[in-house]
Amino acid sequence: MVAFIRKRDSRVAPFDVNKIAQAIFKSAESQGGNDFAQSMQIAEKVREELEGTFVEEVPNVEQVQDMVEKTLIKAGHDRTAKAYILYREQRTRVRERNTRLMTTMRDLTFQDASENDLKRENANIDGDTPMGTMLKYGSEASKQFYEMYLLNEKHSLAHKEGDIHIHDLDFFSLTTTCCQIDIQKLFKNGFNTGHGFIREPNSIQSYAALTCIAIQSNQNDQHGGQSIPGFEFGLARGVAKTFISKLFLVLDILDIDRTESVRIDLRSYLETYGSILNEAGQAEVRRILGRTIGPEKVHSIIEKALKYTERDTYQAMEGFVHNMNTMHSRAGAQIPFSSINYGTDTSPEGRMVTRNILLATESGLGNGETPIFPIHIFKVKEGINFNPGDPNYDLFKLACRVSAKRLFPNFSFLDAPFNHAYYREGRPETETAYMGCRTRVVANANDPTREIVTGRGNLSFTSINLPRLGLSAAGDIPSFFSELERRIDLVCGQLLERLEIQGARKCRNYPFLMGQGLWLDSDTLGPDDEVREVLRHGTLTIGFIGLAECLKALVGTHHGESEEARKLGLEIIGFMRRKADEKAAETRLNFSVIATPAEGLAGRFVRMDRERFGSIPGITDREYYTNSFHLPVSFPVSAFNKIRLEAPYHEMTNGGHITYVEVDGDPSNNLEAFEDIIRAMKEMGIGYGSINHPVDRDPVCGYTGIIGDVCPRCGRRDGEGVPMEKLRNIKGYVHDHRSMEEQLEERDKTANIAL
Amino acid sequence: MNNKQNENMIVGEGVRFERIRRITGYLVGTMDRFNNAKRAEVSERIKHQTSCSR
Repeated sequence: MVAFIRKRDSRVAPFDVNKIAQAIFKSAESQGGNDFAQSMQIAEKVREELEGTFVEEVPNVEQVQDMVEKTLIKAGHDRTAKAYILYREQRTRVRERNTRLMTTMRDLTFQDASENDLKRENANIDGDTPMGTMLKYGSEASKQFYEMYLLNEKHSLAHKEGDIHIHDLDFFSLTTTCCQIDIQKLFKNGFNTGHGFIREPNSIQSYAALTCIAIQSNQNDQHGGQSIPGFEFGLARGVAKTFISKLFLVLDILDIDRTESVRIDLRSYLETYGSILNEAGQAEVRRILGRTIGPEKVHSIIEKALKYTERDTYQAMEGFVHNMNTMHSRAGAQIPFSSINYGTDTSPEGRMVTRNILLATESGLGNGETPIFPIHIFKVKEGINFNPGDPNYDLFKLACRVSAKRLFPNFSFLDAPFNHAYYREGRPETETAYMGCRTRVVANANDPTREIVTGRGNLSFTSINLPRLGLSAAGDIPSFFSELERRIDLVCGQLLERLEIQGARKCRNYPFLMGQGLWLDSDTLGPDDEVREVLRHGTLTIGFIGLAECLKALVGTHHGESEEARKLGLEIIGFMRRKADEKAAETRLNFSVIATPAEGLAGRFVRMDRERFGSIPGITDREYYTNSFHLPVSFPVSAFNKIRLEAPYHEMTNGGHITYVEVDGDPSNNLEAFEDIIRAMKEMGIGYGSINHPVDRDPVCGYTGIIGDVCPRCGRRDGEGVPMEKLRNIKGYVHDHRSMEEQLEERDKTANIAL
Repeated sequence: MNNKQNENMIVGEGVRFERIRRITGYLVGTMDRFNNAKRAEVSERIKHQTSCSR
């Protein structure tokens, strides 16, 4: 006897023949019928048929409905059967339309980003554009698909309920997060973007343009950002090659006889010694030219070539910055999320790159706008650029000046003990680099002989909701730690399951990242080889959010407010790090702890916790949880205390960290104070830090600086018009307010992508 | 249009100020793209004094 029926959500419910009779009666009614008894008879027949078919099995809704159709047709009630089929179809559509996914799609389609928070989940994507919306369709659909079909139920539930957050879930089965690209290796002998082969570049402008292409191509193979760890080391050779070309240009203009053998000699010198602008290289240039030209003439030829080289380098860097802010990736929905690290190459070529990337950033984009990308990271190192007398001290000063105006560069500190541990003099690939918002990849549990930054990146990361754990513990600290331990185990298990799926992908799934050998050891793979083994060089990262709110929940104060909380905060994150280290030792995989850069997540966790625990002052009463280990943004604290209190966490968060200091006013007017803050960061053991200050711009008069309610230059309020006459009287207002020289330079600039 | 009229022309109506802010780690040219939680966070950020109390 059929006693049960399996409902659509797979729950089992008692079988009720009356419900079938009612559905049949409704269909009959729509066709003019009014005999319920007859409907009941047919329903009974359906039950009999079902009993014959489903002896041990429980029939599901669809199977029962199929049987109703069959029975109606068999009994000769064709019209009622048709009505029933139609009714069934309508119900199906209503149901599908009301599923979460379809509701999401509707909102993405018909709501503007201004009214739909989902469309602003990532501020780097304009959700209102066709490609931006298409990207969101894909992203939302795949998230729901993975939640329903691919994720382990345990992990799916923990994610859905906000115990943990699986980042970039939309790419769950597809790829990994990010990569630190070794452009030197990539350019050597040329490369293929998948759409065409590119030769080894021969000038600084081509080097810069190809660096953009490398970033753009790789961005399409991964879901996170792309980073160049040794930017100036990678481009230095382009400067040297441009110098040789310029030398020949000058000789040509002066109509001085020259032979091809001179060019070959200079190129082969460069191949052997790596630099031609250093003292030894310049001596060699003088010697080779001196074979046919007098010493005075040689001197002036070299001077001219150097001047042209500097100018070309500036233009190459200007083109690089412009490209990074205009070239699109990922179906055109966003510009690549790019980072570049520099500051430690002391060769004249490398210094020229660093100087000019800084100057180009200082000048800004076409109308003087602040460039949004790339993220610049200036690597600070004693003996190289930190103190007066260091060979690159001038570049450190310049970096401070540019950052005070443009918010970039940020500063990383190679002397912090946890970064210094990997530093090997003369090997730039051992200099710790940072990428994106804060990711750090350098240790290598998989292969300790290769603790390098190049060719590696993060695989995936998942964050723990710390305030939730704090609130649930209700002041019981030992129980907090045992729950935290369970949560860490859950996250490690989830990261490993994801790695299993990622690892089963093949080399050919990543035509650039793996196909062109960017990822460490991927050059040993054939197109159909699994990427499992080489992925082991990447990091699996456990993140966290809201240490401040967690501490508030546990002891009533956060780490800015009491010594007790300060101690407990370090114990909590220290505990997480120990667990990650144990897991790394056990699996020989790079488990690490990251200070999560929460964007979409900042609001998600707190909303769920407010529903669960109510609005608790200092914990769930704001719209966001505080980022990672940061002191709450609304907590009054001096810059130096903030640095002092956050620094110890940098050592613990080996997967990435950053400390921000918020500064009032325009720091360009007080560069000494700006530099003091950076120096304090270095002295107190910060790994990576930056200074935030307001950068406003009035597009009408071109003023850049701080704008309150009224523009200090043209006097208009936000959105107000201003008389043309008034604008003309403002000093410096021309639509193009750059110097004549700069405008001429711009005119001379060739297209950045043309090689 | 003669010069006189040109001088009296009003320009820039409806053009908003750009306010560049850092979100998690990258810059965004306008806060219009920030999600609600991040907007709230930016509005509550307070400055850190550099001169007093080390």
